[in-house]
Amino acid sequence: MLVIPAIDIMDGKCVRLVQGKFSDSKVYSSDPVEVAKKFEKEGAVLLHVVDLDGARLGSPTNEEIIFAIAKAISIPLQIGGGLRTYEQAEKYLGNGIKKIIFSTVAVENPDLLSRLLKDFGSERILVSVDVKDGKVATRGWLENNTCTVPELIDLFKNAGVAKTIVTDISKDGLLKGPNFELAKQFISAGFRTIAAGGVSSFENLKQLNKLGCFGAITGKAIYEGKIDFRTAQQMAAYKNNLAKRIIPCLDVKNGRVVKGTHFKELRDAGNPVGLGKRYSELGADELVFLGITATLENRKMLVCLVSKIAKEITIPFTVGGGVSTIEDIKNLLNAGADKVSIGSAAVKSPDLIKNAAEYFGSQCIVISVDAKKKGRDWKIYIKGGTEDTDIDAIEFSKQMEKLGAGELLVNSLDRDGTKKGFDLELLKSIAGSVNIPVIASSGAGSMQDFLEVFQKTGVDAALGASIFHYGEIHISELKRFLSNNNLPIRL
Amino acid sequence: MIAIIDYKAGNIASVINALESLGQLCVIASKPEEILSADGVIFPGQGRAGAAMLELRKTGIDNIISQITKPFLGICLGMQLLGGTSEEDETKCLEIFQGVCRRFPPTVKTPHLGWNKVELTQKSPLTANIQDGSYFYFAHSYYVDGPEVQIMGKTSYGFDFSSIMQKDNFFAVQFHPEKSGKQGLRLLNNFCELC
Repeated sequence: MLVIPAIDIMDGKCVRLVQGKFSDSKVYSSDPVEVAKKFEKEGAVLLHVVDLDGARLGSPTNEEIIFAIAKAISIPLQIGGGLRTYEQAEKYLGNGIKKIIFSTVAVENPDLLSRLLKDFGSERILVSVDVKDGKVATRGWLENNTCTVPELIDLFKNAGVAKTIVTDISKDGLLKGPNFELAKQFISAGFRTIAAGGVSSFENLKQLNKLGCFGAITGKAIYEGKIDFRTAQQMAAYKNNLAKRIIPCLDVKNGRVVKGTHFKELRDAGNPVGLGKRYSELGADELVFLGITATLENRKMLVCLVSKIAKEITIPFTVGGGVSTIEDIKNLLNAGADKVSIGSAAVKSPDLIKNAAEYFGSQCIVISVDAKKKGRDWKIYIKGGTEDTDIDAIEFSKQMEKLGAGELLVNSLDRDGTKKGFDLELLKSIAGSVNIPVIASSGAGSMQDFLEVFQKTGVDAALGASIFHYGEIHISELKRFLSNNNLPIRL
Repeated sequence: MIAIIDYKAGNIASVINALESLGQLCVIASKPEEILSADGVIFPGQGRAGAAMLELRKTGIDNIISQITKPFLGICLGMQLLGGTSEEDETKCLEIFQGVCRRFPPTVKTPHLGWNKVELTQKSPLTANIQDGSYFYFAHSYYVDGPEVQIMGKTSYGFDFSSIMQKDNFFAVQFHPEKSGKQGLRLLNNFCELC
């Protein structure tokens, strides 16, 4: 979560108001540019600047100072206060201001809001929601013209708003904590939400971070020294130690690993149990076993094999191949598999995914997404990549997440077996569209390919098969290489 | 003899396999008397909180957990059920630990899946010979938001959440020690030695 310092400008000075009252202001500095420089020096990554005179008069009035701030520092600004027209927006955005904020006045003119969002993108146009006593305050509006928060949420969604700043005016400037419920309403509606108004302690920041706030704006608490900005930012910093995973995949047919392997020390290189164990010792984070002939007999053999693997291996493993019923999933999980990968059956009967996730939990349901480029999009293929379903791969991925899938294993049919590197475009598109982990598969030819897929696409794990089996890449060496390149890796 | 509670919540095969590899005798227990007579109890689990609590009530296990004086280890969902309440299915849980079980916010990918570090914040016999910052395997969408005093280990995933808790003879881990390679086996071995 970002901690965003606020600079409110009135008569060219840096001030703070209490509960939005212009009569109740306190001057903290006569030089907003110096204040901005100080925040930049302390490590702020974004500044929230409000033109209070502009807000009061309904048209930007402190533009000169705002442009001076933008010139003096290299971190982005988000500017609010008095913005009403397309021309005003254009003036800011065309002159070095990264983001601008429209207040709920935008409600008055949803068409203008839609146009702005369309022309400048939802990253640059933010909408602020000011609530007072549970009702949306509409400032310049007639006083009885209020609307409720759910109504506002609908309106924002229709207009294409992505980022909101939520303020409970009755909490602002009182240093008594923000309105958490208000923030929660917008977060659960799917907006990237920045909380403002009353954010005043480390505890507040911690709680907002846990709620899933994108950012928290704080002013008075920093100016009055109630919280130290640097410490606040450290506390709210997005800390994540989850390691990127390297996963060898073993294709199994009739209980044997297909394709030879380079492990000369293994007397039986075709034995999935021995091979899996070896990979586990070499530092693989996880294993995938795919039964490649999905007859009933083979499925039974797979279950038997899973029990044997589970006895020998103490790292997690996923099993797939012809899984098509709840019973299949249950058998594999009970035998000791940690996750089950579902392919064609997920396409044919999406209900299976919903039921399986409800019954076993999302964390053990992996969907195998087999995609191939067709025109400008990617389509889903089934039956080992032989049948085109004409289903859009991105939409399919989103649908699977919605149904409760816990992870996606993305195979690129265009790259499979080519060693030309992962399909970065496909993986980036999918990983950017869902909020569940994604495993990259198909195309790995070098250690650089693994580094690239982690650096450029947002995937959580990468899978390789023959490249590991034939010893072209050694897992421990690969993991050291990735770690040396500053990726979080379990060594 | 260590009893592994079977309440139809996910696979227990991996826990049994791990204990067997440590040479530890164990028994699968689904009745209160089997659980109460064991030298130690492991409470694994995956799946949903609501269904799991329902099953525990049906078998009467819910009533005897708090009477157990032998070492007790909750794993994953088992840890979450030891808390006060769970946001998942709005479930009232076993109340051994204080705290609410919450879903991860939308700022992080959920489920939290994979190997993550555990920072040891307090000394516990469960982590006696385990290095601070070791990786363990996680697979969950909810976490226990518990009081500092009961938290022995924390993990960072967007923010710090409790990954190891302890209160008297009750231990709980959010990760899967049975799936966490050598470190995991070491932790399970520590537990067995307490029994």
